[in-house]
Amino acid sequence: MSLDDQDLSALIRTHATRHTAPASLRAGIRTQTALAQAGRSSAPPGAKAARWRWINFGWGTASTSFALGMLCMLLVLPVAQRFNPGEPLDADLVARHVRALQVGPLAEVISTDRHTVKPWFQGRLDFAPPVFDLAGEGFPLMGGRIEHVRGDAVATLAYTHNRHVIDVFIWPSGEQQAPVRSVRRGFNVVHWADGSMQYWAVSDMDHEEVETFARLWKQRAAPI
Amino acid sequence: MSDRQRFETLVLPHLDAGYNLARWLLRDEPAAEDAVQEASMRAFRYIESLRGDDPRPWWLGIVRNTCFTMLERKRNTPDTVEFDDAEFEAVAGPAEATTSDPAALLEQRRLRTLIDAAIRALSPVLREVIVLREFEDLEYAQIAKIIAVPVGTVMSRLSRAREKMREALMHAHLGQSNPGH
Repeated sequence: MSLDDQDLSALIRTHATRHTAPASLRAGIRTQTALAQAGRSSAPPGAKAARWRWINFGWGTASTSFALGMLCMLLVLPVAQRFNPGEPLDADLVARHVRALQVGPLAEVISTDRHTVKPWFQGRLDFAPPVFDLAGEGFPLMGGRIEHVRGDAVATLAYTHNRHVIDVFIWPSGEQQAPVRSVRRGFNVVHWADGSMQYWAVSDMDHEEVETFARLWKQRAAPI
Repeated sequence: MSDRQRFETLVLPHLDAGYNLARWLLRDEPAAEDAVQEASMRAFRYIESLRGDDPRPWWLGIVRNTCFTMLERKRNTPDTVEFDDAEFEAVAGPAEATTSDPAALLEQRRLRTLIDAAIRALSPVLREVIVLREFEDLEYAQIAKIIAVPVGTVMSRLSRAREKMREALMHAHLGQSNPGH
């Protein structure tokens, strides 16, 4: 028999499987974009310009002054909170790690399968954190949860290593900060960033082991 | 219009096309979902760069690049085994049947299995031109733009892909049946 390009085309178009996106994926994406939109600093540039014009026109009126005052408060408060936190970020993360160990849950989704853990974050976060299982390297994945750190939802992955628990806190950030290490209340904290996310690993393991874990993680993540 | 509205009206209608491409390229359901999700966040972020262009090829280009990055990453992680969900599809079975005649139904299933297998057997580079051309009905120039190669390369890849599929289908004695009907 002969099968020319048109026959082949027709065969593919009629018979090949056409996959359709699962409803959960569509819903997850819609939620993510809605959250990302809400999370953007404020209105789009055009609308912002219009607002400034409006403020300039009605400068003298009491209601505008009041609105301006409210606006300042709304804008300044979160910024002030961010720049003047009650305690250093690493101490905050250690406290969360300890709390999860004491009262739990350490993992809201319990799975060693990254394909279970990663989709679980869908629709719960406005970003998709990288999830790796490092069981082959001695750090099996236990699961994930969401922590709220300074008003932002943060992906948290829990790993085990010789009965120690390691928490990795992940959130998006354009920063390319130099790695930071610190010790808080006997817990070791290692921080790194890759230009799209920042990562904080917290554990009671000794420093070298946490560093090893961080290095394995970075190896697995590269090349982006 | 906010970026979200633009995303919903321009990109979301082509979500199935993007998912189909990712599914064929990665041959793995969870990986395809990961890729489409990652691609959609990227599309949302750069939606402003889409000025009056046709959103479908633009979106498919983002999905395609995300998939190839993932394939690359997978290749650099030697201890992972490539997972092919072909067997699971066989269990799930094709959903839509256009006939109630059992013999015709069986023949349709046989054809679907054969053709799916022939596409799956292609290398990713050949598979993508088949999906973009035969599933998405894109023009050579659009495909060339998506995969960033000259039009001539698209044409030669397409003809190579078709040649390989033809061989595979002949090998499976497709000739016993009447193709295309």
